[in-house]
Amino acid sequence: MGRGSKVFVTTVFFLGFSFTALPTANAYIDPGSGSFIFQVLIGAALGAALAVKAFWRRIVGFFSRRGRPSE
Amino acid sequence: MTGAEVLPSSFRDPAGFLFRRDGVLYRQVNGVHRDHYQRLMTSGLYEALVGRWLLVAHEDLGPDEAAAEDAHTVIRPDVVPFVSYPYEWCFEALKDAALATLEAQGIAMDHGMSLRDASAFNVQFVRGRPVLIDTLSFEVLREGRPWIAYRQFCQHFLAPLALMVYRDVRLSQLLRVHLDGVPLDLAASLLPARARARTPLLLHLFMHARSQRRHAADTSLPSERTFSLRAFRGLLDSLSGAVRGLVPRRGDSHWIDYYGEADHYTSEALQHKRRLVQGVIDELRPATVWDLGANTGVFSRLASGRGIDTVAFDVDPSVVNATYREVKANREEHLLPLVLDLTNPSPPIGWANRERMTIAERGPADLALALALVHHLAIAGNVPLRRIAGYLAELCRHLMIEFVPKDDPKVRRLLATREDVFTGYAREGFEAAFVEQFEIERCESIEASARLLYLMRVRE
Repeated sequence: MGRGSKVFVTTVFFLGFSFTALPTANAYIDPGSGSFIFQVLIGAALGAALAVKAFWRRIVGFFSRRGRPSE
Repeated sequence: MTGAEVLPSSFRDPAGFLFRRDGVLYRQVNGVHRDHYQRLMTSGLYEALVGRWLLVAHEDLGPDEAAAEDAHTVIRPDVVPFVSYPYEWCFEALKDAALATLEAQGIAMDHGMSLRDASAFNVQFVRGRPVLIDTLSFEVLREGRPWIAYRQFCQHFLAPLALMVYRDVRLSQLLRVHLDGVPLDLAASLLPARARARTPLLLHLFMHARSQRRHAADTSLPSERTFSLRAFRGLLDSLSGAVRGLVPRRGDSHWIDYYGEADHYTSEALQHKRRLVQGVIDELRPATVWDLGANTGVFSRLASGRGIDTVAFDVDPSVVNATYREVKANREEHLLPLVLDLTNPSPPIGWANRERMTIAERGPADLALALALVHHLAIAGNVPLRRIAGYLAELCRHLMIEFVPKDDPKVRRLLATREDVFTGYAREGFEAAFVEQFEIERCESIEASARLLYLMRVRE
């Protein structure tokens, strides 16, 4: 993940989640729905981050190809 | 057809199950999973995965071989030489298994399919590489739905890997207690605050754990079509980055480079021992060798170098990690380094204590090597020689065992801090203890030492 997208993702989720310690564990709880909902919450940002990363790679690739002496 | 013995490890899955008939392993595909299995086989996904060594190959035998009703077909997967479990893997092996799982998921998505579980137990090491063994874990991708195996991936792979890097490599043993992976709230409470500074860990472990707690009582799931394919790819890329980013810090005491100690292998005694072991391997031609207390696998390689499937067990996870790295770098296909404490070996665990096998249940090996081991068990571990003989007889058919006498420098070092209560620890006592279980076929003195090397055969 690029530095810019890292900062973006981090900022978005700092707003959504507080930083207090987790309460004690209850082993009988099924953590399935939380995992589902969490993916939906972060999915758009992670998808965007991947798109930015792919776009950035193309730009870097374009310039590094241009910069390379012809064979 | 009858005579099938259903394996106690695969009862949870309605899609099918494993069974053994006449010693051969089969997997029944139930009717309920037919569409998913057919998509796997016709979409090109099966070939793509098998071609990249990511999925175990199989032969489709048709429904006539079924072991129970409702069979769509029966498949015979290729044999895995030795079944190992995540709590026996070193850090690097667990990491490679995680990346193989993500790579398989990415390829599955290219073919309109997805993994419905991401259990580390679905991965085995074959020819030195991690391979998915559950052919039935691929389902048709339901667009818009989040990854059903996300929680399991984080629990089975990301959490233990992060704990091993940020806390202690020995925390891999949490997987022995938590069969469905390390619960994320537990991982979050054990990890140091500095782990939060890495965005992927902050997301997939800490915030994920928080979300699980926050939504624990929710009965409704997000509606369909809320999770785009782009989001799915982004999630996989982020998980892959999280796993790749977990690198042990240099200078950490648990990651000592053990190759520095290799110089003692040049001694005359070790050269002679090497020749004796090689001679026995070439003479017996075993199909399987277990090297108990293998260290970096110097003697294991005398077998694996001959194409014999060899398991190198050692108690020290950092030594096993070093061996695994070497196996990978040299592309050694027949050597599997695993973490095992012989004084407390892998137990039978899971439902009814039958889901995961003990080490003995996975044997016996044709030949076990117990070199420079017996003094550790008898003197450092306080295990009587008779009991050592009894357990080793469960693990193998032939045993090559080295007796290290009390006047050996290594034993003297062990006795330096202990009261010498080991009166029976001598050649006579050793032989008397072992002849109850074994026939001693030969005994050689190792040159330039007082050590003895025995070849024994388990009594019928």
